[in-house]
Amino acid sequence: MPIPDPASAPPRTDLPWLRHRDVPTPAAAAPDAAVPAAAAPTDAPTDAPTDAQPASRAVADFFGGHADRPRRGAPAVPAPPTPPAPASPPPASPPPASSAPASSAGSSSLDLDEPTSPAEPPRASRTPLAPPASPPAGRRYVPPRAVGNQRLRLSPTDPTVTLTRLQTGIGMLTIEAAASAEVGDLRIGAAYELADGFTSTVQSTQGNRHAPPDSRRPVLVAGHDRFQRILLDCRQCASLRRMVVYAFSEARAPLNWGGTLTVETFGGARIEAPMEGLVSGDVAALVSLYFVRGEFVVRAEMQTLFGDVRDVCQAYGFDRISWVDARTPLD
Amino acid sequence: MAQMKRGANVALTREIPDLKGLVVGVRWNAGAETVLADNLVLAAILCDRPGHAISDESFVFFNQLSSPDGSVQQLTEALDGDNEQLEIDLADVPADVERIVVVLYVNDGPAQRRTLGRLRSCVVRVLNLDGNTELVRSEELATGLRDETALALGEVYRHDGWKFRVLGDGYANGVADIAADYGITL
Repeated sequence: MPIPDPASAPPRTDLPWLRHRDVPTPAAAAPDAAVPAAAAPTDAPTDAPTDAQPASRAVADFFGGHADRPRRGAPAVPAPPTPPAPASPPPASPPPASSAPASSAGSSSLDLDEPTSPAEPPRASRTPLAPPASPPAGRRYVPPRAVGNQRLRLSPTDPTVTLTRLQTGIGMLTIEAAASAEVGDLRIGAAYELADGFTSTVQSTQGNRHAPPDSRRPVLVAGHDRFQRILLDCRQCASLRRMVVYAFSEARAPLNWGGTLTVETFGGARIEAPMEGLVSGDVAALVSLYFVRGEFVVRAEMQTLFGDVRDVCQAYGFDRISWVDARTPLD
Repeated sequence: MAQMKRGANVALTREIPDLKGLVVGVRWNAGAETVLADNLVLAAILCDRPGHAISDESFVFFNQLSSPDGSVQQLTEALDGDNEQLEIDLADVPADVERIVVVLYVNDGPAQRRTLGRLRSCVVRVLNLDGNTELVRSEELATGLRDETALALGEVYRHDGWKFRVLGDGYANGVADIAADYGITL
């Protein structure tokens, strides 16, 4: 793969936080190394590739969000493993980590590497052979999206959709099992794990409607409107680590699997996971939802198994729930 | 310092030529109304012309703490007694961004619906990023609110340098109205 010419390469947009740290007072070599770092984001194009943003924003979230403004000047934050900006215009792809020690010696308070610097040249000489850190544009993963009020049908071949940060953080998600009486007495619930590690289920038929239980401000609320449904408070999206929505028969009767599980965003996008493909089994995992770097990833699981709610929870890794019976978690 | 009325503006960089960055701080008081307090969200929108966001990624709020260029950032923990704070590095604001609008809305989640009319107070202020000194502060924006569920608090905009204007415009339909107004896809 050709390496882009540094002179014409687009500026780096993924290191905005570097600019927030004051450069240590001029130690001979420091100034020219520091200037590109400070200047690069200034002329950053606004049409920067969107693929690069989640990672950079995750970093910015961390550094920007917790930045302690009055003490910003102090180099309190340890330098991350990312290499400092080189003395020439920034390259298009992040340089391999092994090139870092060359410029880091004079510029940072982290001098831990200094004793080992004689060992660096062999690694540096390997640099040209190392593959670039960012994959070629054609192979970059572009997650499927459902924007606006679009409808998206998940299938065994395309089982996932990634919500945007706005869809993840605004309003609420409505998860609903649209199924008629023909299907049987289908009920849904969800096993969940919160960011603090707490794990349990919500299941309106069992009376545990809120997650966490008895919360004044629940992240999940199970109930029913026209159909059985679970609401997810997007204001607290970061409180939810993962959840799996499951279906079961209230009377433990065989279900004639059918209907559709829908996940609707505040903006009106509707993600549909058909349940017609399910065969046999007593219970089924319908969809899973993971919070990944500020975005919910929804996946149609559509997997039946024999047993009860406890078995489907355990099959999906919710093994820290203790049970009162096969349907009731011990909270 | 005098309080700025709705619609009033101040020429920030003319007053302070070496101004490099701003902090927009918002402090509110919802009293005993915890449901309202829990669901208030502050956001900033980078616009290239009045009422038009440059992109969906330029909606800066708690789940998107920085604009793509890094010029506008929200703190997860505000300082100095504000409820929320945004930092703006003026030099890094992209050239096509003409204004940065700061809005407050009530998230429409599973909780009971609340309106901004229950706010006891809401004040927006602007600080110098370098040193935290308060530059200006708005008048009480909570007065006169009734059924609004979103409020444009103020905007930082270019006009012979950077200026700040207090807005105080309410919306009846929360963040959905704001998104429609600024061309943001939810």
